[in-house]
Amino acid sequence: MRKRRMVAPVAASLSAVLLAAGCGGGGGSAVTEATGTLEDPITVQWGEPQSELVPTNSNDTFGSQVLNPMFTGLVEYDPKSFEPKNAMAKSIELSDDKKTYTVKLKQGWKFHNGEEVTADNFVRAWNYGAYAGNAQQNADMFNAIQGYDAVHPADPDGEEGPKKPPEPSAEKMSGLKVVDDHTFKITLKKPFSVFPTKIGYQAFVPLPDAFFENKEKFRKNPIGNGPYKFESRTPQQSLTLTRYKDYQGDDAGSVDAVKMVVYNKAQTAYQDLKSDNLDVINTIPTSALADNRWKDELGERAISKPRMGITVLNLPMYKEKFKNPDLRKALSLAIDREKIVKQVFNGEATAATGWIAPDFPGGPDKGSCGEWCNYDKAKAKEHLKKAGGFDGQLTLSYNADGAHKQWITAVAGSIRDTLGIKVGLNAVPTFGTYQDQMDNNEMTGPFRYGWVADYPTPRTFLKPLYTTSGSANNTGYSSEKFDNLIAEADQAATVDKANQLYNQAASQLGKDVPSIPLFTNAVKGATSNRLAEGTLNSRTVPAITTFKVAQAGE
Amino acid sequence: MTNAGEGQQRILAAGAYAEGEIEARQQGESGDELPGTPEPHQPPKQEKQRGLWGDAWLELRRKPLFIIGSVIILLLVAISIFPGFFAPGDPNAQNLTLARQGPSADAPFGYDSIGRDIYTRVIHGARASIVVGVLATLLTVAIGSLVGLFAGYFGGKTDSFLARFAEIFLGLPFVLGAIVILSVFNAGIQGAPGTIRIMLQVILTIGVLAWPISMRIMRSAAIAAKQQDYVNAAKALGASHTRIIFKHVLPNCLAPVMVYATIALGQFVGLEATLSYLGLGLQYPVVSWGMMISDSQQYIISTPHMLLFPAGFLVITVLAFVMLGDAVRDALDPKQR
Repeated sequence: MRKRRMVAPVAASLSAVLLAAGCGGGGGSAVTEATGTLEDPITVQWGEPQSELVPTNSNDTFGSQVLNPMFTGLVEYDPKSFEPKNAMAKSIELSDDKKTYTVKLKQGWKFHNGEEVTADNFVRAWNYGAYAGNAQQNADMFNAIQGYDAVHPADPDGEEGPKKPPEPSAEKMSGLKVVDDHTFKITLKKPFSVFPTKIGYQAFVPLPDAFFENKEKFRKNPIGNGPYKFESRTPQQSLTLTRYKDYQGDDAGSVDAVKMVVYNKAQTAYQDLKSDNLDVINTIPTSALADNRWKDELGERAISKPRMGITVLNLPMYKEKFKNPDLRKALSLAIDREKIVKQVFNGEATAATGWIAPDFPGGPDKGSCGEWCNYDKAKAKEHLKKAGGFDGQLTLSYNADGAHKQWITAVAGSIRDTLGIKVGLNAVPTFGTYQDQMDNNEMTGPFRYGWVADYPTPRTFLKPLYTTSGSANNTGYSSEKFDNLIAEADQAATVDKANQLYNQAASQLGKDVPSIPLFTNAVKGATSNRLAEGTLNSRTVPAITTFKVAQAGE
Repeated sequence: MTNAGEGQQRILAAGAYAEGEIEARQQGESGDELPGTPEPHQPPKQEKQRGLWGDAWLELRRKPLFIIGSVIILLLVAISIFPGFFAPGDPNAQNLTLARQGPSADAPFGYDSIGRDIYTRVIHGARASIVVGVLATLLTVAIGSLVGLFAGYFGGKTDSFLARFAEIFLGLPFVLGAIVILSVFNAGIQGAPGTIRIMLQVILTIGVLAWPISMRIMRSAAIAAKQQDYVNAAKALGASHTRIIFKHVLPNCLAPVMVYATIALGQFVGLEATLSYLGLGLQYPVVSWGMMISDSQQYIISTPHMLLFPAGFLVITVLAFVMLGDAVRDALDPKQR
C-alpha cells in the first residue's frame, strides 16, 4: 500500500507543479485503517474565510464550512433536505400573544472545553452579536427580537454620505430573558411565525464563557458545542477538525479527522480529486462542465442536487413599458426554459415553475407561475399583441463577472425568435456596478437576478424581493394584496398555516408576473474513492457530518 | 554601400531642382533601374510621372503575394459590405435542438453551443471584426509612427519626453487600461450604448493603449535613418525638417512598422473579443469573430468546429494582410531594389 501524499496547495503559481504531482500519483492512494484519522485525514476543498471564525461575525461560505460542524444551535437544517429540526432545543413554545417563545434546552450538552451549555450562553452570545459596538456582520439577523433597536440603532447614512450612528442606549436586548439554566424566553417586536425556523442560521449558536473571557484566544482556537472540534489551523493553508466524542446530538459525524485545505483554483482541486489526493470538492471548473465532461470523468462520485435558490429575470416596473402585465406575460411565455436547461446547462438545472425553489421545505411551490412559465409561441404573440407590441430594442442586462453570458444569450435568442422583436444584451462589467444600477432603478429592460434562500421557509423568496418595502425589491412591484398576504402569514399561528399563506402570496405573483422565473442551478461537487458517502448542503457547503469512509481494501 | 549612394543621389537631385523635385528624382531612380529592364511599351512621358508610389505599384503588380493577398482582402471587404449576399440567413436565429451539431449539408460549418448556424455567423461577423481590426491598426500605426518619427528624428529632449510619455502607456496593462477608459466613456449611459459608438470607443481605446509599440519601432528606425548621408546632404542643402522627415526618413522607416501592423491586426480582433467578454465591447446582437472565438473556449474539446471556423477566417484575414504588407514593404523600400 502506497503512503498517501499530502498536498497543501497555496499559491496559484504552484498549481502547475501540483497538477504534475496529482497526475504522477497515478491511481491515487487507497483506503487504509488510518484513513479518516489525524494521521491521514479526509481532505476537503476550502478557501481562506474572509472574517474571523466567530459565528456572529462570519457570513461567507468558507467560514460556514468550518463553523457549521463546530457549533450546534437550537435548530438545525438537514444537510440533505434543508428541513429545519430541533437540535439543542428540547422544545420551542409560542405564547398566546404569538410574540414570546419559551425555549427549553436539552441537558447534558457540553462545549468542547467541558463547560456545560446553558441558556445564559445563548443569551450572552445573541446580545454580543446584536450590540452595535461589537460591529458583528450578522447583527441584523437579530432584528426581530424586542430591544434590538436599543442595542443597534439604525444607521442614518443617507444621501449626504455616511453619518455617525447614534450610540446604543442599552447593551442587552430586552426581549431575551434567562429563566433557569436550561430555559429562556425570547420576546419579539411583533409576531413572526417562522422565527423558530430562522434561528437555524449560524448566527444563533451559543458561545462558551471562554469566548467572553479571552476573545483573542478564541479567535485562534474556537470552542463550540458541535459534532466536530477545532484541532489546528495553518493560516492560508489548512484547518483540521476532529470528531467531538461527547457530542449529544443525533447528527454526530463518523469520520475522526477532517482537514480543510485551501485551494485557489478549481482546476487544481479537480485534478487532485481525480487522483484521490483530495476527498471532497464543491466547485467544478468551467472547462470540465462543458458537455458534462465532469460527470463522465467522475461517474458515481459526482454530486449534483438542486440548490435552494432561483434565477429570475426581473422586470423594471418603474419603466412605463413594463407596467403592462400583458407584455410581462408575453416575455415569460417566449422563453423556452426546458430547452435552455437541457442544452445550455446540460440538464444541471431545473426549469422554474414558480418563484420558490423546487423541492423547497415548507410547502413545495406547485407552479405558482402557472401557464406563464410554459413556452408557448402562439400565446406569447397573442399577449404581445394585446400589450400593443414592443417598439425599439429590448435590452437584457447581466453582470459580466459571473458566468451568465451563455444562458442569457439563449434567453435573448428565445425571446427574439418567438416574438420577432429586436433584442440586445447589456453586460455590466462588475456586480458592484450592477447592484448600484438595480438599487437606483436605472435598468432599462429585464435584468438577471439570483436569489439563494437564507432559511427554509418560502418567505425567504418572497418578502425581501416582492413586498413594497422589501430590502431587495428591485422591480418596483407593489401589490396591496401580496403585502397583506405576507403580513398575514408572518402573524399566522403555526408554521404550516404560515407556509400555506406564503404559497398563496406566491400565487398572487403568478397573476402579476413582476419577474420571470427562469431556472434553479444545481449544486455541484464530488467525492473521492476514499469516501463511501458524503454530500454538500444546498448552500454548496460540504456537510462533514454526512461523510463516511469507504471500506478498506476497495 | 551602393544603396546609400543611390539614396544620396536622389536627394542631391531633389535638392538641386527645387520645384521639379519629383520629376527629377524619378529620373534619377529610373535611370538606375530602367536600363536593366527596358519597357518599350511605356511611353517616356508616363515614366516621368511615376513617383515612389508609382514605382511601388509597378513592382507590386508583378508579385504573386500581392495579388493573392489583395484578392482575399477584396473578397473579405465584399463580405463585410454585403454579408446577406454570401449568407442570406439570420446570424442570431437559434434552434436549441441543433446545439453543437457538427458540419453537415444544411450547415457547412455546423452549429454553435446554442444552435446558431456558424457559417452565417462567420460571414456576418466579418464586418465588425474587420472594421475594428483595420481601423484600430491604422490608428495605432498612425499615432505611433508620427510620434516615433519625431522622437527619433529630433532626439535629445524631445525624444526623452516622448519616449517617457509612451512608456506610461506601455506600462499600463491593456485590460486594466481599457476597463478604466471604457468605464469612463460608458458612465452615465442608461442601458447599452449604440453599436457605432461602442465600435468607435473600442477602436480609440486600442489606439490609445497600443500606439507605444509602433512608436518604439518607428523611433529606432528613424534614429538609424537620420544618420544616413542622404539626410545630412538634404540638411546641408537647406531642406526643412518637415521635408526631410516626410520625404527622406519616413519612406526608409516604413518597413518594420508595416510588419508590426499586419501582425497587430489579428491581435486587435482578439482584443475586441476580450473587451466584449468583460462587458465593455460589442454586445449581442452584434456578431464578431472575436466574440465567437471567446464563446467557444469552453467547448474546445467537445465542439472544436465552434472555434475552428471563426479562427480560420481570422487567420486567413491576418495572412492576407501579412502578404499584402510584405509585398508593399518590399516595393516601398528603396534598399530592396
